[in-house]
Amino acid sequence: MKTLRIAGLAAVTMGVFLTAVPSFAHHSFAAEFDAAKCQEWTGTLTKVEWTNPHGFFYVDIKDANGKVQNWSFQTYALITLRRAGTSLQLFKDNIGKDVWVRGCLAKNGKQNYAAAGSLKFASDGVVRQMGQLQD
Amino acid sequence: MTTSRPVAACAAVLALICLQYAPAGAQAPKYTITVMPPGGPAPRLPDGHPDLSGHWLPNSAGQGVSGRDGVDPAARRQFDPKVTPEERPAFQPWAEAKIKAMTPVELELSKSSVNCMPRGLPAIWLQNPYSTVIVHTPAMMAQLYEVLNNWRLVYTDGRPVPKDPEPWVHGTSTTHWERDTLVVNSSGFDERTYVMPTGWFHSDAMKVTERYTRPSKNYLIVEIIVDDPKVLTHPWKSAPRRWTLGNGEVYEFYCTNNHELDELGKLKEQESYGK
Repeated sequence: MKTLRIAGLAAVTMGVFLTAVPSFAHHSFAAEFDAAKCQEWTGTLTKVEWTNPHGFFYVDIKDANGKVQNWSFQTYALITLRRAGTSLQLFKDNIGKDVWVRGCLAKNGKQNYAAAGSLKFASDGVVRQMGQLQD
Repeated sequence: MTTSRPVAACAAVLALICLQYAPAGAQAPKYTITVMPPGGPAPRLPDGHPDLSGHWLPNSAGQGVSGRDGVDPAARRQFDPKVTPEERPAFQPWAEAKIKAMTPVELELSKSSVNCMPRGLPAIWLQNPYSTVIVHTPAMMAQLYEVLNNWRLVYTDGRPVPKDPEPWVHGTSTTHWERDTLVVNSSGFDERTYVMPTGWFHSDAMKVTERYTRPSKNYLIVEIIVDDPKVLTHPWKSAPRRWTLGNGEVYEFYCTNNHELDELGKLKEQESYGK
């Protein structure tokens, strides 16, 4: 806990100084997600929630035992996705198709939930930024 | 206001233009999104003052930069700290202690963005990653914020401040022109907003000064001064922050699906058990 608090104070101090660029996310990635627990997944896109302050997309992913688990991935706010060229229609067009995701797990241990950093639809092979890239 | 202030302001604006804008030919070719050129002269209102109207993005690119590749770092920022450094706010000891006592999760839970609360003034100009549309007439400046579909009206017709103004997240404002700079003085704030997402809270005594200049068609410069003697030992002044002219595409942002409070709340519980 002490380490966490020191890290927090350092973050606060740095945050006060490093204000040249606005925080481009809705909130701090580091507070909610673990940059030390980032990984890649492949699976089938099942659903998208086109909402604010974050969007979410859902992917059926096979676990180590071959059992399919439905994961949810948080994205940037929709404004950011749209200005970067990612639309709701793009997600809709890829429902039921293969995707690759890189992201980081939630610190609170919520199962099958992560912040998406990058997403690639198998249909076009383009890697798109979905959130803060931590590694 | 001393006589040197306008001269210093002009010098700062010129420094921004000269040092942060580089012609396209001087950019490294790896960048596909670069600093937007200044454009021609700023438009003028019928009364001769600069017209601040436009769709303004909080970066130097004139387009979205977050979540995109090939962005020149100079295009991402609103100011260069090496050119116009921004001092650290000088907190009263009790305020500094209050902020330092917060854990990262508590800090996160305090943020307006996490709570889907309006940023308020001055945060809307200091911690807003989304665009703002300004509609400016000689009598009024309407500010339409993309984030939370929020808005604010700043009257420039000289009307007096109400005797008992309500505590508003944007305060109550009076305005005047100093040459081509629109100065907006505001007080009477709702205490639930934060100045910065660093735990920097404010008191009911906070007064905010905004200084708006439009040195060219594509640039809006906003400087903020925060005077809050209950929280700060002396007023804090921001760097002159550049907003650049966008293409007018504004998106809806209603906060309808906020998971943050639940997820962070669980994390806070876990931290409490771990203490």
